[in-house]
Amino acid sequence: MKKIILSALVASVALVAADKTPIYKSGMLLPPQPKVIYEQQCAQCHGMDGKQTSFKGSSTVVYSPITGLNADALAKELKEYRGGIKSKDYGPLQKYGYGALMKTSLTDLSWEEIDSLSQWISNNLK
Amino acid sequence: MDHKYINSMLSQMDKDLAAKGMSRREAMKLAGISGAGMFMGATNASANEKEEIKEVKSGVKGKIVIVGGGLAGMSTARRLLNFLDNPDITVIEPEALSVSYQPGQTLVGGGIWDIDDIRVKRDDYIPDGVKIIKEKVIDFHPQINELTTAEGTVVKYDYLVLATGLHLDFERIKGLENAGRAMSAGDNSKLLKAMGDDGICSIYTAEGAAATWTQMQKFIEKAKNKKDGEKVQFVFTHPNTPVKCGGAPKKILNLANARLKEAGARGNAELSFYPNGGVMFGVPQYHDAIVGQFKREGYKWYYRHNLIEVDKEKKIATFDSKWQEKGPFDPIMRDFEVVSKHEKVRVPYDFLHVTPPQLAPREIAESDLGSAKGWVPVNKETLQHIRYDNVFAIGDVAQVPMGKTGGSVRKQYKVLVTNLIARMEGKKLPAKYAGYTVCPLITTIGTVMLAEFNWTREPTPSFPLDPTVERWMWWLMKIHLLKPMTVVGMIQTGRA
Ligand SMILES: Cc1cc2nc3c(=O)[nH]c(=O)nc-3n(C[C@H](O)[C@H](O)[C@H](O)COP(=O)(O)OP(=O)(O)OC[C@H]3O[C@@H](n4cnc5c(N)ncnc54)[C@H](O)[C@@H]3O)c2cc1C
Repeated sequence: MKKIILSALVASVALVAADKTPIYKSGMLLPPQPKVIYEQQCAQCHGMDGKQTSFKGSSTVVYSPITGLNADALAKELKEYRGGIKSKDYGPLQKYGYGALMKTSLTDLSWEEIDSLSQWISNNLK
Repeated sequence: MDHKYINSMLSQMDKDLAAKGMSRREAMKLAGISGAGMFMGATNASANEKEEIKEVKSGVKGKIVIVGGGLAGMSTARRLLNFLDNPDITVIEPEALSVSYQPGQTLVGGGIWDIDDIRVKRDDYIPDGVKIIKEKVIDFHPQINELTTAEGTVVKYDYLVLATGLHLDFERIKGLENAGRAMSAGDNSKLLKAMGDDGICSIYTAEGAAATWTQMQKFIEKAKNKKDGEKVQFVFTHPNTPVKCGGAPKKILNLANARLKEAGARGNAELSFYPNGGVMFGVPQYHDAIVGQFKREGYKWYYRHNLIEVDKEKKIATFDSKWQEKGPFDPIMRDFEVVSKHEKVRVPYDFLHVTPPQLAPREIAESDLGSAKGWVPVNKETLQHIRYDNVFAIGDVAQVPMGKTGGSVRKQYKVLVTNLIARMEGKKLPAKYAGYTVCPLITTIGTVMLAEFNWTREPTPSFPLDPTVERWMWWLMKIHLLKPMTVVGMIQTGRA
């Protein structure tokens, strides 16, 4: 019993500690947080509203908006982009363009994370 | 627990013993006493690994943080208490069932134990005086001795012990991507859903082990009722990464074989083993013994096959198979070239036991504490990090050859505690790990081959009996003694 009280105490002390901002990273077996994944992996090119259609890096790239998408179809595409993690059998997919770039952004995501991200994009970017 | 087996095994044992004029009680006592020594390999431990006789406590101070409260983390915490006057120890462990007994998963998969026999709760084994943070570490900043959890808690430390175990990388296998990655303990419903209910299974998680027994029974039943002369295919894999307990993929094969025989269905089944490697075991003597046993039991085996894909609808497992061929003559070298080849081999299965590829947790692999391969690079003898001298690693996550078993942890945690305290005292690190690993290979229900070895790749038996012979006495140990030894001896007292 003593043990349990002690550990409960420690846990609650930890909980009220000052500077706490929960952090999220993909691929670490955490419950998916699609909005954070979007901010981390997608927003730079696609914009928070999904309407951005060009990005100026060393050269300018142009692409389509990602609003009004169907969640299942999007998840399927993103999974194809990601491919298997280590298998040589899957190269970057060029079917939809920007294969290598998309693969880099998606490579850490589990399928569960891709599913929840697709759902979030479909629900929120109209 | 399946008492029928224990009982029939015990009655067989009684017969064996009676022949030697010994009672079961006397034998158990003997196995109990020597059993402890056996698992520790006490009689053969090198001088460096020998336990200090007296536990002299050190007065050094410093905040020790242990990441991962599984077998290695919890027993290290407990042992540190024995040697420190002013312990300041924090364990960070998010999983409530973290100290569950993983070696028992094999027995659960074979229907000998129930899942409740191996579940052990973290909160029952947090030693008094050790602080616990029930969160997951996400970010490591070893340059400033700091780490951060997913909840955003920032933890500072003077000394860090990494004991996070490893991730089971099911998602690397095409067709199982939905499974994601997994750890052995805790909720694995996502994994079970991805594997489905038609023969694919894995004892590498606790829940998966229970499901393995369900699937096994189903296909044994199928073999029993087979009348068309075709054989029910039982397929077993071993991946191209290091795995914890390299023997487990074969143990579950042997248990399936034993269960098929018991059901009178062995004649209608074919058991095949597809390891990625080119041998059964890194130690030649054990390799030979296992090949002999495979022949006796009529298994088939195919070296250099790595599982890369499963088709759940058609029930086909696809392996990447590798071999070498004689190439064209090289006039400069005056010899033929050797050409490496590989092709996809499609294998129909009814029952498929998957030993998943295994890797270091991503938070470790991608931090400055990981190596190119992900594992924590430590001096394999002292267990100290090669770049950060206030950081140590132990257990499955440490980059130590052949070391991913509970038996290795049992050696390593003593070495680590001695060296960590020496480091805190500013002394030279005195203790050395010699690579000891133990792998009790279950060969059938009732017998085990106790494979013990170290980096010399020589068998290092801690008992004066031929280690390549299967014995019921090892089985008795596996069933009755190893769990209390681990849970009570290591985690509860830090002494075993
Ligand atoms: C099927 C099977 C059979 C086996 N058979 C045998 C056997 O017969 N003999 C034998 O000696 N060994 C056997 N083993 C191996 C043995 O169980 C392991 O080697 C042992 O558990 C390793 O201990 P560990 O503490 O390193 O890892 P674990 O016991 O896996 O513990 C790691 C802990 O770290 C925690 N963690 C991970 N990441 C983080 C993080 N970021 N932050 C905080 N905490 C984290 C996890 O939640 C986990 O609780 C077997 C294993 C399996 C799966």
